Amino acid sequence: MRYIGWTILIAFWVSVGAFLHYTLPQRDIVRIVRVFEERQDLTDWTRVFWSRPDEQSDAFISRDVQFIQTVRANGRPMVYRNEDTGWSWPPYFKFDTSNLFTEAADATSNRAAPEWYVITHYGWRNEFLTIFPNAISLRPVDGPDASKGIPWVNIIVLTTIAAIFYGIWVRWRRFRRNRIDPRLEEIQDSWEAAGDAVDAKRGRFRRWLNTWR
Amino acid sequence: MAVIRLFIIVFVVLSVIYISLSFYSRARARDRLEAEWDAGGIDMPREAYVRHGLSDYDGSLRRKLILGVYVVPMALVGLIIYLVNFA
Repeated sequence: MRYIGWTILIAFWVSVGAFLHYTLPQRDIVRIVRVFEERQDLTDWTRVFWSRPDEQSDAFISRDVQFIQTVRANGRPMVYRNEDTGWSWPPYFKFDTSNLFTEAADATSNRAAPEWYVITHYGWRNEFLTIFPNAISLRPVDGPDASKGIPWVNIIVLTTIAAIFYGIWVRWRRFRRNRIDPRLEEIQDSWEAAGDAVDAKRGRFRRWLNTWR
Repeated sequence: MAVIRLFIIVFVVLSVIYISLSFYSRARARDRLEAEWDAGGIDMPREAYVRHGLSDYDGSLRRKLILGVYVVPMALVGLIIYLVNFA
């Protein structure tokens, strides 16, 4: 029973963490190599890792998606997709996909004369599922070791979520202390009282039995 | 239309919050007025004092601030749209 409780608790917090890690913005320092557009089949369950730029996109079994190929400051490749999030989840309200595509195309550089950019994105790159993080915005920086800036959005969002969870937790504890624990104690007390009464009765019965010996 | 659907969902959710909050706030105002009367020194019937105080509350800034339930998220969405697309 204890293990089931722990498993549920851990699974819950891991999913909350994964959800936030997927949804909240992150920044990478990259050198943009190339931009391209490729047709994607979007019929299996990994559809959830692609955007819904507009209403029609729900009906399409495949559509063209823009990509930004980059090399990160640590030398490893990273490919971003470039899609509108529109009015759907996650709430980035990104509508400037074509503009970002133009900026990225304008920002390409080669290994000999690298130009470095901070790319803000959300989502995950996974080679097995063939999913890509969605690029949100782009800004030039001095070099591969430049600062990515303070993640204000993450600080504000995480603080707010922590405050909400703490508020619920405190209220739940108070509710349990005032309403549930006294009831449980009452039940336990009456149970023990019943047990004592049974013992007393059995004692009398046993005494009566002993008189027959 | 995605935008209309979003607005309807958000409007319903925010309306639930708004209605709950306004009832809660009004109940708090009533409790406060009753406690003030119970503390003594007010030569007015209790009922009338509370009713008068609540009509003051109905015109108060505190009550209008609850409209922030609608205003703040909309301003936030506007800010995000500006920062992501135009900044």
